[in-house]
Amino acid sequence: MGDYRSVSIAAGRGGWGGPLVVTPTDERPLIYSVTGGGIHPVAAKIAELTGGEAFDGFKSSAKFDKIACAVIDCGGTARVGVYPMKKVPTVDVYPTSPAGPLMQFITEEIFVSGVGVDQISVAE
Amino acid sequence: MRYKTVVTEVGPLVADFVREGRLVLFAEGAPEELHSFSVLHRPEDVFEEVRPGDVVHMGGIRRRVTAVGDVANANLKALGHAAFKCNGKEQPELPGDICLEAAELPMPEVGQNISIEVEG
Repeated sequence: MGDYRSVSIAAGRGGWGGPLVVTPTDERPLIYSVTGGGIHPVAAKIAELTGGEAFDGFKSSAKFDKIACAVIDCGGTARVGVYPMKKVPTVDVYPTSPAGPLMQFITEEIFVSGVGVDQISVAE
Repeated sequence: MRYKTVVTEVGPLVADFVREGRLVLFAEGAPEELHSFSVLHRPEDVFEEVRPGDVVHMGGIRRRVTAVGDVANANLKALGHAAFKCNGKEQPELPGDICLEAAELPMPEVGQNISIEVEG
């Protein structure tokens, strides 16, 4: 079975929330990239450092209870709230602050934004 | 013509969004968790960057674009994703917003075309 490590993901310039610590498990192995143009480099880096499985949400679907974290490129209305509402730790590559119809679900314990590959580090 | 598409599915929560002057679009193939509040659609192979002053045509009405957020065109091109807001703002509140003049939107219907065109 998987040998997983933890990463810490901090808010980047202009970003909000976090830091989040993400550790995939056998039950929740997926680093779920819901971004344009395939697996986002941020999702790829989280997968590489943790041993999780990078997964393209626009190619096929996954159950929420399989997702270790979601990586989105959301400008503020929709995706920014959907995954936090489902208690899925959510990483926005854009520096979005809580907004939109689902903003009550967006807290700094479950959401971090403005994240680039430099904001991801192995957690002790 | 900046963009043209045909509506293929209208989520059950779209009416609530329309009442608040919002409309969220995603191209077919978007993850299922996004369907309930989205208009799913099948875009034609045409894309030009949307700019303020362009006009959205939908269900026989026209709405002028008043502002376009910094990431709105990238979203539209890559994912067929648009977040229309009928607030008439000239500065978008959020980077994904495409702001339209402050007027009611019609409820979208399956089979309807939505297009974004240069005014003229």
